[in-house]
Amino acid sequence: MAFTPKTPSRQRSRSETKTPLTPSMMNGISSMSLASPTKRQTNQRGAIADTISANPFISSRPSSPVKRTTSGALQITEALSKQANSGVIRKGGIESRLDVITHDYVPPPRTDPKRSKSTGTLQRDTRDRFITSRNADVGEVAATLELMHLSHSSSSPSHTARLASATGVPINKRILSYHEPPPPPSDTTLAAQRDAVRPLYARTGSLPTSTGATTNKSRKISTQPERVLDAPGMVDDFYLNLLSWSCLNVVAVALAENTYIWKADTGAVTHVGEAPEGSYVSSVSFSSDGMFLGVGCGTGEVELWDVETGQRLRSMSGHQGQIAALSWNNHILSSGCGDGSIWHHDVRVARHKVMELLGHTGEVCGLTWREDGELLASGGNDNVVNIWDGRIAESVTGSHVSAKWTKRNHTAAVKALAWCPWQPSLLASGGGTNDATINIWNSTTGARLHSLATSSQVTNIHWSPHRKEFLSTHGYPNNSIMIHAYPSMERVAEIRDAHDTRVLFCARSPGGDLVVTGAGDENLKFWRVWEVPKEKKGKGREKASSSTGILGIR
Amino acid sequence: MAPTKQAPTRQAITLKGSTNLVTEFFKYAVNTILFQRGVYPEDDFHMVKKYGQTVLVTQDLALENYLDKILKQVNKWLLTGGVTQLVLAIISKDTRTPLERWVFDINLVEQPAGSSEVPPPKPESEIQAEIRYILKQIVSTVTFLPIMDEPTVFNILAYTSESADIPADEWVDTDPLAIEASKSQQVKLRSFSTDVHRIEAMVAYRYDG
Repeated sequence: MAFTPKTPSRQRSRSETKTPLTPSMMNGISSMSLASPTKRQTNQRGAIADTISANPFISSRPSSPVKRTTSGALQITEALSKQANSGVIRKGGIESRLDVITHDYVPPPRTDPKRSKSTGTLQRDTRDRFITSRNADVGEVAATLELMHLSHSSSSPSHTARLASATGVPINKRILSYHEPPPPPSDTTLAAQRDAVRPLYARTGSLPTSTGATTNKSRKISTQPERVLDAPGMVDDFYLNLLSWSCLNVVAVALAENTYIWKADTGAVTHVGEAPEGSYVSSVSFSSDGMFLGVGCGTGEVELWDVETGQRLRSMSGHQGQIAALSWNNHILSSGCGDGSIWHHDVRVARHKVMELLGHTGEVCGLTWREDGELLASGGNDNVVNIWDGRIAESVTGSHVSAKWTKRNHTAAVKALAWCPWQPSLLASGGGTNDATINIWNSTTGARLHSLATSSQVTNIHWSPHRKEFLSTHGYPNNSIMIHAYPSMERVAEIRDAHDTRVLFCARSPGGDLVVTGAGDENLKFWRVWEVPKEKKGKGREKASSSTGILGIR
Repeated sequence: MAPTKQAPTRQAITLKGSTNLVTEFFKYAVNTILFQRGVYPEDDFHMVKKYGQTVLVTQDLALENYLDKILKQVNKWLLTGGVTQLVLAIISKDTRTPLERWVFDINLVEQPAGSSEVPPPKPESEIQAEIRYILKQIVSTVTFLPIMDEPTVFNILAYTSESADIPADEWVDTDPLAIEASKSQQVKLRSFSTDVHRIEAMVAYRYDG
């Protein structure tokens, strides 16, 4: 007979619900809050369990109360029990009085053994006249209620009905379910596939619409190419670098095994040469004076061509894999190989290999010298960005040189690399499909200054020489060209669907106002993305005037 | 409290309208739960404007048809007052243990016995607002419901009265899929009511804290 509330709050709530078996109990349930469902529940269940065990209508259990108060005792008349058995209780009839009986009744001691869990003294509970006993066992009630669905015959109908009305849980009802099980979730392999491509369409910056371009209001950038050239046979390979634009305003493009140059000022096309039999051109790069063209081949040769005469000057062999990246520094031509090695070729001497840089475990696909020739940045299929000291040691062939900085922040192949022309310590690098991030590094301190997540693989980055902006080209799904402001990293403009396939190759004009892009859709497109500043023109500087002259395109 | 049989004859037209409203609510509530609780992959759902907000509704045809079939029957039961509770049970796919039970009590609104005048009909906008609150609450339950990291299936249980008309070959008596009381936590959600029905929602979940 000794039950004690666990917590004061429980006592409080009890006093609020003086007649717990009347519909006010519903209120009790309703008042359950998210904050403390457990406690209140305990309350409810305790009350219900009492009712279950304290059933006054089971005739076989002659009332043998331990304690019975005088007030409100109700005789179990024949009519009443009949009514009870039929499971119908009239409203406003005996209901309230029934409650009184129930509460005064004390369950026989043989009740559920589990109850012994929480016992206490009755004294503390005296304030509550209506509930003299309370089962604190949280566990039982809900289960009991559910069980009653199945074996409601075991309990008396009136009790069941009362319970039903008190708790809102329907008793005496059938529980039905549809004969079929619900359909299984759609193909799990499909879900896995969706997961795999999620990076492509659920990235930050990808817009819900796929129409055209978004441009900043302050800038108007033409979303149409200035000129489109046909580039039949252009290889759709992310790792290659098949476009170069020289300072003499000549564009070199490699189409499978052939290399062509297109003179931008006249529009003339010249076939420069062919890769060796059974090979293909995997990279082209103009020397800084624009006179020579370095050509990397799929079989590992690095060739040197004279642009004017269209003659092959020499072929430098030795690499075992495809040459996917080339970069010039005066007379040094650096080549990145499929086996991860970077060689410096001195094109003037017979023993051309003057240095070997080993810092990549995957194919080198991005390689670019800083303009002053002090630093060389390389990116590889091993997701690493290396920055090398540009000095050629005298007798280093064979000795191991390690990179000045090694950056492993990218999570995909790094092809896009660009040194900032107006702040020499800045290097921008962009990662492939799984990464799609552009990082800006300080090559002096090695710090990562900015990181920009884009919506798709970064294939190329070019800085504007005149503006604090840089341009990036991207792959699936938008095949876009984006222009970002620096250092805010805000997107100034985006040209959607610049090509029908991913924009793989990109070169900037010497004037700095145009870029040419190439893609697997076998088109070269010229985009006017930046303006050459007018004041320079006004000053009559040679370069500015030439930008309309030989640096313009026809 | 128990549903009374005379209710259907009271306002035939309103009853039908209310029934459709309630059925529609179930459709969106079930969809919301299935989405929020990850029973079906997110990709299977698409956004639909409903009740002045976006609701995620499955576009898996099989599931759509399945729910349609169930709701059609529920609609019939609602018209006759045959169903008193709908339960959406979320069950572990492998162990078949019930993890969550979303309980919707369906009560018929009784007119106050004393007053003879009919109370003014509840404006639709108000009902919609109540429904919107429930759906929002379902969405917000994700914050406290335990994370289910195992694959799950669901089952819809209808608690019907003994006398309800039951298509024998389609609906079968079943286990209540109750969660052991000692491991169960319950949270009462909001309710909504039309002029005829009053729907009270509750979620019980397994919590072995």
